[in-house]
Amino acid sequence: MGTGPDRSWRAADGVHVDVRGLGPPEPMVRILALIEAPETGDVVIAHLDREPIYLYPELAERGWRHAIVAGDPGEVRLRLTRGGG
Amino acid sequence: MSLAASFLGGARSRLLPPSIPFRFFGAAIVFHVAAWLALVMAADEVPGFSGGLGMPLAALHLLTLGVLAATAIGAAFQLLPVATRQPLTAVWPTRLAFWLFVPGVLAMGHGMGAIHLPVLAAGGGLVSTGLVVFALITAGNLRRAKDLRLVAAHGWVAVAALAAMLALGLMLVADFHAALLPDHGAAALAHLILAGYGFMGMLALGFSHILVPMFVLSPAPPTWLGRTQLLLSILGLVLGVVGALAGNTPLLAAAGLSGLAAAAAYLGAMAVALKTRMRKRLDLSFAFMAVAWLMLPVSLILGLGTLFGRAGGNGPALFGFVLVVGWLLTFLLGVLQRIMPFLASMHASKRGGKPPLVSELMSGLPLRVLAACHFPALALVAAGIALDHGATVRAGAVLGTAGALAFAWFGAIVIRRMTATPRAAPKPGAAGPAGG
Repeated sequence: MGTGPDRSWRAADGVHVDVRGLGPPEPMVRILALIEAPETGDVVIAHLDREPIYLYPELAERGWRHAIVAGDPGEVRLRLTRGGG
Repeated sequence: MSLAASFLGGARSRLLPPSIPFRFFGAAIVFHVAAWLALVMAADEVPGFSGGLGMPLAALHLLTLGVLAATAIGAAFQLLPVATRQPLTAVWPTRLAFWLFVPGVLAMGHGMGAIHLPVLAAGGGLVSTGLVVFALITAGNLRRAKDLRLVAAHGWVAVAALAAMLALGLMLVADFHAALLPDHGAAALAHLILAGYGFMGMLALGFSHILVPMFVLSPAPPTWLGRTQLLLSILGLVLGVVGALAGNTPLLAAAGLSGLAAAAAYLGAMAVALKTRMRKRLDLSFAFMAVAWLMLPVSLILGLGTLFGRAGGNGPALFGFVLVVGWLLTFLLGVLQRIMPFLASMHASKRGGKPPLVSELMSGLPLRVLAACHFPALALVAAGIALDHGATVRAGAVLGTAGALAFAWFGAIVIRRMTATPRAAPKPGAAGPAGG
């Protein structure tokens, strides 16, 4: 979903997606597309350059939780977990 | 404070307290009922209305200022600082704008309806001051915006149109006291173009480029379509205002054609967003947006028809109704029924408690009643104007009032659910439950 190169990768702590530098609503669309993909699993780490406050109602709709975790300077890093995890 | 918490603080500071946008939305909901009631009272005068003091003018301004402008102000205060990543420098001016604007609209509505010129003048002064405060806040935010150039450009055109609209509006109010203007009707037409297609229209078009993709979960539409739409809109506005003031039919016709081309570019951009959307099932709000999108070009065609005497004897009233109610109010109702639950859920999420789901708030009976009343109301009032039949206008306005009451019911449910969300106990680190 969305235009531009795919910036997602799998790591030990979950599937990562980097949406920094994208204009709204692209970050939200890419994150939601990722969490709706069946192969994604239950944990997604999103790298953003602003807090995606409009994403939260959409995550709630899909039964995902969010938590802000430590990231690089100037980055907002979110840990998204399916259900109550 | 951790880096994450520090950044969070910055982002949260861009999100105003919910009482700011919701006080404007609440006022808009009340004025929505009042505007339809005024239309019920004015029904017999509506078909032949082409300006002048009285209940039709009061209904028009309760709708344009009370509903459309109040919603636009609330939405702009809420969305612009987040979208532009520039927090407002202070919150108190937004409250000041409210306390100037809302009593001003009430006074203007009374002054116009009861033909009470001192009250009208006082209301006009309050509304103008409130809108100037809004324009200064918005301009200050847009000036500091580093991205979202397309939306910011629409915002600048809207602010410029607002300034010109206000100047003309004050001159029109003064002209009711002592004939100052060489042609009151020409100035009123320029005022209508600036308000409908300029101030409100440009905000609607600009926000659409962010809100519609956000609602349907699609990539942003191609920028070239947005830029084309913007340039054609500016051209149409300039030609329309100059043509109206100069009483120049060819200029007004060129404005209408330019507006139609701008509408085509806008609708093309929205079609791209819908075609590439992730959300396959669209809710009722899109029925409102679809009808509004149809009414935008219809209003311009009616404007051109009126210009050339091909829209019947009541062309001016039909043009004004389709522009204000068919396009702007219907679009706004579609956006508002989606954005109010969204903002409520977002603010409840910010409080840390379990937020109400947007889908729970949107699936209720009130919105179905609104749809069942609003669309027939549109058709009946338009038919009543075209057929010069006051009773049909009144029947439509009664239905519109019922729809407005249903929308007030919906608004009360959303606000109650938002404020009923309990605050969660503070946890270490910056975390928030999104659901579950």
